[in-house]
Amino acid sequence: MNDWVFGVERVLIWLLWVGIALASAMSLIVMVVRVAMTAFKARLRRLERRYRSVINRALRGDGEAIRLLVRSPARDQLHLARLIINPLIEDRDPERIAATREIAQAMSLVPLGDQYMGSRWWWRRAVALRGLGLIQFKERSSQIVAALDDESEEVRNAALDALADIRDPETLPAIVVRFHDASLHRGRRAAALAAFGSEGEGFLLNLAAVHKEHRLNYARALAICGTARSRPMLCEWTADDRVEVRASAFEALAHVGLDEQAASLAINALDSPDVSVREKAAAALHGWTGPGGASALARHLDDAWPVAIRAARSLKSMDEVGRIQLESRSSDSDIGGELARQMLWEMETHP
Amino acid sequence: VNLSSVITTYSVAVTAYLVLLYTSQLLISGVAAMQLWRYHRRRTPRDRALAARLASPPLVSVVVPARNEALTIVQSVRALLKLDYEAREIVIVNDGSSDDTLPLLQSTFRMVPVPLAFDYALPTARMRGIYRSIDEPGLLVIDKESAGNKSDASNAGINVASGVLVLIIDADTMLEPDSLSRGVLPFLENANTVAVGGYVGISNGSRVRDGRVMDVAMPRSWLARCQIIEYMRGFLMFRMACASANAVTIISGAFGLFRRDALIEVGGFNTSAIGEDMDLTIRLQAHFRARHVPFRIRFLPIPVCWTQAPEDLPSLRAQRYRWRRGLLQVLWRQRHLIGNPRYGIVGMAALPYTALFEGLLPLLEVTGYVTATVAALMGILNWDHYFLLLAVSVLFGASTTLMAVVLNDLASRNNSHKRDLGLLIAAAVVENFGYRQLNSWWGCVGTIQAIRGKGGWGPMKRRAF
Repeated sequence: MNDWVFGVERVLIWLLWVGIALASAMSLIVMVVRVAMTAFKARLRRLERRYRSVINRALRGDGEAIRLLVRSPARDQLHLARLIINPLIEDRDPERIAATREIAQAMSLVPLGDQYMGSRWWWRRAVALRGLGLIQFKERSSQIVAALDDESEEVRNAALDALADIRDPETLPAIVVRFHDASLHRGRRAAALAAFGSEGEGFLLNLAAVHKEHRLNYARALAICGTARSRPMLCEWTADDRVEVRASAFEALAHVGLDEQAASLAINALDSPDVSVREKAAAALHGWTGPGGASALARHLDDAWPVAIRAARSLKSMDEVGRIQLESRSSDSDIGGELARQMLWEMETHP
Repeated sequence: VNLSSVITTYSVAVTAYLVLLYTSQLLISGVAAMQLWRYHRRRTPRDRALAARLASPPLVSVVVPARNEALTIVQSVRALLKLDYEAREIVIVNDGSSDDTLPLLQSTFRMVPVPLAFDYALPTARMRGIYRSIDEPGLLVIDKESAGNKSDASNAGINVASGVLVLIIDADTMLEPDSLSRGVLPFLENANTVAVGGYVGISNGSRVRDGRVMDVAMPRSWLARCQIIEYMRGFLMFRMACASANAVTIISGAFGLFRRDALIEVGGFNTSAIGEDMDLTIRLQAHFRARHVPFRIRFLPIPVCWTQAPEDLPSLRAQRYRWRRGLLQVLWRQRHLIGNPRYGIVGMAALPYTALFEGLLPLLEVTGYVTATVAALMGILNWDHYFLLLAVSVLFGASTTLMAVVLNDLASRNNSHKRDLGLLIAAAVVENFGYRQLNSWWGCVGTIQAIRGKGGWGPMKRRAF
C-alpha cells in the first residue's frame, strides 16, 4: 500500500511541476500575444494617421504625395499597399482604380506582387492576385488566368475574384469554361460571370451547343448573364430529358424575358408533373401580360407551396391583368385565397 | 482493501480524469489555433464583399423568438434593421408575451395586421395575428400563443420565413454588423453547407449603443468574468476542433444560420427538447450522415454576436440547471449515435468525448471534492496529498483557460483594454475557487432534475442593454 501511495505521490509531484510550467508558459504566451497584437495595431494606426492625407492627395494626382509614398520605408510598404488598395473593394470608381494603379506602379508594388505570386505560401499568392485584380492590372491577366489551375483552392478562388475585378474581356473564355468547375466556389463563379454582364453570353452559347452534358450549368449561367439572344436555345432546353435542365431553362428564361413562344412553353409547363419545373415556369411568367398567362397562374395558387408562391408573385407583377385574377380568388378561404389577399395588400401598400 | 485505500484511489482517479480532460483540451486547442489562423488568412475583406457582387444574393430571414422582451426588443429590432446585408427580412415571433412586447413593436414600427400565406411545414401553437411594418416592408411580427418553449416560436418563424436561409437568434442577441455577410459565405462557397454557427461573446461590461457592442470591456462582476472565460473555452476549443472535422454538435441558440429546407427536412426544432440548439445540430448531423448525403456544418471562430450573461446567482443557477438537463436529454435521446461508426466522427469521437467529459464532469468533480475533503478531515487522506491533488487540478485548469484566452485574442483581435488582460488572467485562477465547484454542484442538481424529468426554463432576470 505504501509503495502505491509513494508512487502516486511521485506522479502527483511531477504533475504539479508540469502544471506550474504549463500555467507559467500560458501566462507568458497570453502576455506576448497581447503585447505583439497591441504593438501591431498601434503601428497600423500610426501609419494610417501619418499617411492617410498623403494617400488622399496622391489619389488626386499630387506628384509630391506620390513621391512621399514611393520614398516610404520598405517595411511599411505592404501596410501602405493595404491602405491604398483595400478601399477599392467597395469603391469601384474607374477613376479611383486608375489613380490607385498609378500609385501602385510608382511604389513598385507590382514587382512585389509578382514576387508574391511566385511564393510557395498560398496566402501570399492569394493576396497578390486579389491586389492585382482590385487595381485592374490587365498586364497580368494571363498570369491570373494561369492561377485558376493553382494547387491551392484559396489561390484558385482568389484568381477568380481577381478576374471578376479586372473585367478583361480576353479572360472571359477562361471564366466561362470553368463555370461548372466544382473546385471553384459556386458563389465566386456566379459573381465572376455577373461582373461581365451579357458579355459572356456568346461564349456560353457556343460552348452549350457542344457540351450537352453541361446544359444544366449553362442554363444557370444564362440565368445570370443571358439576354434575348439566348431565348431560342433556352426554349429548346425546356424539352430536355432532365428535369433539372428543364427547370433551370425556365429560370434562365425568367432572367432573359419571354416572347410569345417562350410564354406558351411556360404556360404549358405549369401542368408539368415536376414541382421544380412548375415552380420555375411560374416564376418565368413574372411580368408577362400576354394572353393566357394570368389565368393559368391563378389556377396554381393552391398548388404545391413553391409553385403557389411563385404564381402569386408573378400575378402581382402583372398589374391590372394579375389584379383581376387575384381579386377573383381573394374571397376563397384556402391557401390560394390567402395568397391572393396578401398580394393585393402588397400591391396596395408597396406597389 | 481498506476504506483509506479506496478513498485515496478514488481521489487520485478523479484528479487523473481532470488532468486527462485539461490535457485533451490543450491538445485540441492546437487544432483550434490552426483553424483560427486559416480562417483569418482566408477571410479577407474582399471575401466579405462577395455577396454584394452577386446578382441575387440569398435572402436571409432573421427569426427572433421573443417572450416578454419589452425591455430590449425595440433596440434589438433597430440594430437588426442596420445589418450590412441587404437581402434580409426580419421575423419577430411574439411568443405569448404578457408584457408590452407586441404593443411596443406595433407603435414603434407602425405595424399593421396583414394577410400572409405561408408554407405550414412545421406544426406550431396557434397564431393570433401577423403584422407588417408600414415603414420597413422587411419587418414582420408573428403573434402566437405560447407553447411554453422557444422551439415552437422558432418553428413558427421558420414557417413564415421566405428566405432560403434562416438565422435564428435570441431576442437579446446583439449581432455584429457584418455577421450576416460573414455567415452566408460558407453557403455561397459550397452548396452542401446546411448550417453555420458562430462564436458568441458576452457583452456584460462592454459599451453598448443602439443594440450594438461598441467597445469590448470586462464587467465589474466576477460572476460575469468567470462566464466570459468559460464561453471562451466552450466556443474556441472543442467546438472549433469539431468544426475542423465537420463534427459540430452544437450551434448556439444565440446565432444559428440554417438552410431552411434542411431545417424542414429534419422537422425543425424539437419542442420537447430542453437544449433545442444541440438537439437540432445533432439531428442534422445524424440525418445527413445516415443518408450518406454530402453536407457541411461550419463554425465562424470570430465573435458574430453578443449576449448578456446572468449576473445574479438565481438566474445563473436556473440557466445551468437547464443546460445540464438539456445536455443529458440530448445524450440520452441520441445514445444510439454514440460509438456508432455509421455516424462517422460524430458517433466515434465528438459525442463520446462530450458524454465522457461534459456528461460525467460535474458528478466526478463533486464526488471527488467531497470524498477527498471528508477523507482529509477524518485523517484518512494526508493533507499534503489533498493540497497536491487540488493544486494539480487548478494548475491544469488555469492553463487550459489561459490557452482559451490566447485563442480569443487571435479570434476577436480585440484587446484594447490593458487592464482587462490582468482581469482575465485573474479570472482564470479565481474561477477554480468557488465558481467551478458551484457549477459542478448545479450540474449534479441538474442531473437529478433530468432523471426526474423536470422541464422548463426557470426564472431569468431581464436587463436592458
